[in-house]
Amino acid sequence: MPRVLVADDSETILLLMRTRLELAGYEVETAADGQEVTELVAGTGPPDLLLLDAMMPRKSGIDALRELRAAGVETPALIVSAHQSPDDADAANDVEIDGYVTKPIDFDALLEQVAALTR
Amino acid sequence: MAVIGVGRFIQQRQDFEDQIARSYQVEMAARVQIAEGEDSAATRAVVSDQVERREQLQDDISSGTRDTAILVAAGLIAGLTGALLLFSGLIASLRRPLEDLVDASARLAGGDLSTRVEVGGLSETAALGRAFNEMADQLEKDAAEREQLDRLKDEFVLTASHELRSPLTSVQGFAELLMLEKERLGPKQVETVEIILDNCRHLGRLLNDLLDLARSDAGRLALRREPTELAPLIDDVVRTMRAQTDAANQALTEQIEPNLPPVYVEPGRIRQILVNLITNAHEYSPERASVQVSARVVGTDVEISVSDDGPGIPEPQLEHIFDRFVRGDAGLTQRVGGTGLGLAISKSLVELHGGTIRAESAVGVGSTFSIRLPVSPSEAAVAPSPATAEPS
Repeated sequence: MPRVLVADDSETILLLMRTRLELAGYEVETAADGQEVTELVAGTGPPDLLLLDAMMPRKSGIDALRELRAAGVETPALIVSAHQSPDDADAANDVEIDGYVTKPIDFDALLEQVAALTR
Repeated sequence: MAVIGVGRFIQQRQDFEDQIARSYQVEMAARVQIAEGEDSAATRAVVSDQVERREQLQDDISSGTRDTAILVAAGLIAGLTGALLLFSGLIASLRRPLEDLVDASARLAGGDLSTRVEVGGLSETAALGRAFNEMADQLEKDAAEREQLDRLKDEFVLTASHELRSPLTSVQGFAELLMLEKERLGPKQVETVEIILDNCRHLGRLLNDLLDLARSDAGRLALRREPTELAPLIDDVVRTMRAQTDAANQALTEQIEPNLPPVYVEPGRIRQILVNLITNAHEYSPERASVQVSARVVGTDVEISVSDDGPGIPEPQLEHIFDRFVRGDAGLTQRVGGTGLGLAISKSLVELHGGTIRAESAVGVGSTFSIRLPVSPSEAAVAPSPATAEPS
């Protein structure tokens, strides 16, 4: 069962993500910010996919991903953002990502992307 | 001078009249003597002397009057010339500052709010100059405040439309979760969830539209332009929209002129505009209406028009049709799913491309919305120009 690490500062979004991903057959770990993401990866090892909100307090998903990439973690990552395109405020031009998911989330499309990246 | 002349003239005239009056008295006295029998040569001589004297006096008066008239006329001319010289001097000293003010006003009206004039000259023009500069100061201050407010408004709308996306994701996501267990819900509950989802989608569209407008207002809507063939793009949009028009038994047709030159645009944005225009034509027209999409070359532009034979838009509404949140007849909007921002966005997108948009409509006949996009020769030259135009 592929393991997905989801990070978002909204508990409701985390619950929604967990429910949809678990229904689709994934094992889900959750984090409330980027700091928890790096700690979890350090603790339990890299998951099969990172699903990170771009903007979170303490440490953003992009900052967390930048640190992980610097530490040699190659896990595929999707960035979730309220912005409509990567050109907006939270652009992640300097860090390699595998996809950009915009809110409101189209779960059918997201689950396809997740399946493709964890295959 | 003229006044002195007139004074002297009056004085002289008085003297003459006194002398004439005295002459009559002398003559009358002589005539009385004659009547009383003292008819002598000497007395008759007095009478004829007096008659002669008065004739002489009359002549003197006439020539005096002529002299005075000449004097008065000369005085008037001299006075007028003096006044003219004085005025032209005054006008000359007013002219420069006034011309400066006219120039400065034109520059200010043209939007250069930093325009100021040099204060100087007569006290009146100096006061005018100072008033102008104060007005310009105030205008510049107001403009700066307005810009600041506009920036805050744009920031607010951008932030709000982002912040609302997370809760919207939750509401929509959980409603979708319910629908995943559709078979366990009753028909009323399914209908309820469908209403929630419909409204979520509407809210999503509204947020996207607001974001587009705010970005366009803030000058942050960057276009990713590329040489674009319009025929296949229009064709594709029409095919996508056909599901909706078919459901309303409306005829959606296209008429694209062959060999349209490529335009330098962001294809996604042109698609967005076309979807907007066709959706409006479809939603505001009754069942069995016709909607036609056409494209042709007009001068140095390509014009794309969307026409319908729907109810048309009354004149007062047509004037404001591209304003924000202005929508068609309230009776219709109940079943129309738009946000009231589509045409405002279409307008700003077309203008961002350097094009124009216009609406024509006649009540009971239908409406036509046309956009014109410039074919820039230099930019079109970048396009890999196809040997044959793609058939539509």
